[in-house]
Amino acid sequence: MTAVAAKPAAGGAMNPTAMGVGFVLLIILLAICWVVAPVDSRLMMLYALIGMVVGGVLIGFGTHFVPVGGAPAAMGQAPGIATGVAMLAAGAGLAGLFGGAWAAEQGLVVAVVTGAVGGGLMMAITCMMVNFIYVFGMGIPAASGKVKVDPITGDTQPEYKSQGTEGHGLPFVSFVGGIIGGLLAGGGGTLIYLRLLDLYKATLPTMMKATESQIMPIAISAAGIFAVGMFLVNAVLTAYNITGTIEGPHDPKFKRWPRAIVASAVASALCGLVAILIVVM
Amino acid sequence: MEHIVFGIGITALTGALATVAGAAEDTESNIGSQGDPNSQVQLAPQMGYLHRIFNKAIAGEPPAYGLWCALGAGLAWAFMAMQINAVLAIVLGCVLAVFVQGVYSTTAYVGRTASLKKFGQPVYVDILKSMTTVTMAHAFVAIFCTVTLCYLMNAALGHPFPLPLLGLLWGIALGAAGSAVGNPYYGKERQYQNQKFGAGVPIAQSGNIVRYAEAGERNSLDNGFFTAKLGGPASGVCFGLIVFLELWRTVIFEQIGAGWGAIIVGILMILIFTVIDRYIEVWARKTYGPYAAPVKEAGA
Repeated sequence: MTAVAAKPAAGGAMNPTAMGVGFVLLIILLAICWVVAPVDSRLMMLYALIGMVVGGVLIGFGTHFVPVGGAPAAMGQAPGIATGVAMLAAGAGLAGLFGGAWAAEQGLVVAVVTGAVGGGLMMAITCMMVNFIYVFGMGIPAASGKVKVDPITGDTQPEYKSQGTEGHGLPFVSFVGGIIGGLLAGGGGTLIYLRLLDLYKATLPTMMKATESQIMPIAISAAGIFAVGMFLVNAVLTAYNITGTIEGPHDPKFKRWPRAIVASAVASALCGLVAILIVVM
Repeated sequence: MEHIVFGIGITALTGALATVAGAAEDTESNIGSQGDPNSQVQLAPQMGYLHRIFNKAIAGEPPAYGLWCALGAGLAWAFMAMQINAVLAIVLGCVLAVFVQGVYSTTAYVGRTASLKKFGQPVYVDILKSMTTVTMAHAFVAIFCTVTLCYLMNAALGHPFPLPLLGLLWGIALGAAGSAVGNPYYGKERQYQNQKFGAGVPIAQSGNIVRYAEAGERNSLDNGFFTAKLGGPASGVCFGLIVFLELWRTVIFEQIGAGWGAIIVGILMILIFTVIDRYIEVWARKTYGPYAAPVKEAGA
């Protein structure tokens, strides 16, 4: 099939074969983790890897909610935030990771929720300031180009679009999408960090023949770096799935999320396996 | 109690540093056309509009600032490990990071502009000399403030992450906040000052950026001068609020309810910003009104 003959994939068209291959790859990577792990710590390592896969999937899914308009948004030609998908999600998620890592001693649930709220707060402030600059700096009201009515507020959109543009600013549904994206991304990033930190805390003292307090700086640094890396992997994967810009959960491109979930799960499993292998081999 | 008061003081200081960092970052990126509006600066010569605007964008602001802040923080950390005074170590680390930014800016401008040779766009050496140093100065302020606030988070507030990792995290967040808030103001309001105020730039006008100033041709210092009045401070307020509120809710409320206090306060703050945003949106719709008469749905 040539590029010309290929069907456009604007909607949520799924490729069942590719999805099936993704699931098989995921199972294989989990099985590799089970096989290479020392017998007495197999369950712990598998548990850590599953935690990282869940965290990666949350990041990948959450990034779909973030309203990103890229370069056209910087000219008021399209709605959304005027920056890259991966970059904005990373900014929000890493702000969440900062808070989640701080709360690590409070337990898994509190730390993950703290990370989620940190990401959501970053997005709430950023989205509010984006609308502030559009309205008070440029005199432009928010308008969606993808829906006629805001699904949450019921505000009509087409008449607020200026001539020759696809909309501008952040309608309320996009604002809410941004916060949901920040919540999911912040929580997912923190979950990856905590799973890795627990794993390193349990395995590094034996491996390096040192006490837990001595290996803590290395464990925290390694877990933090891997969490940041896996964050970027999942955010960039989603950016490819979105192909540039998205308005938020009301955008037709949002329907593509299932394939990003599978891709994020496989990529997270592979990256997580590498993060586990450094304490196994 | 003393611990909390100390924490509040450090939180206020980091918030102030973050505000300055955000403003400097946005002004730096606008002078260098590093945000999304770089596409228009690159497109203009291809549409026949030759210009004297500086363009050093070969990476988005978040990864670029992630690199520079991580570099500044990493070097400062290494200097501190060599028993050098923390203030001096941070300054030295940031100076070295700024040199990397200068090399990046130079190669980016020369490379990007040289690629436009077939459209007749010259590489202006005077632009390279005068703009690069100005972006370096602004970048130093942004990197120094960010590395300093990371140092305070680590040394004074006891965050577990090492300084270079904090530099990477907050560098990326700084770039994300600065590009999200500052880009529309530079892209729409300054580069397309010849278009109608209060409306987006029609897609057909892409590339037709303003190239002339009050006297002579416009350059990027004029753009920095313009955006430093609103886009820069707004970016600073955005990043300052992010850093200040994230630390504030943790320092004061973390001990309440075994961590749930900080979470509840965070959720309340999200709700408050949601209400403010909705107010701004409704205010704009009422005050500015629609561009066209409402479209009646067929059969509605």
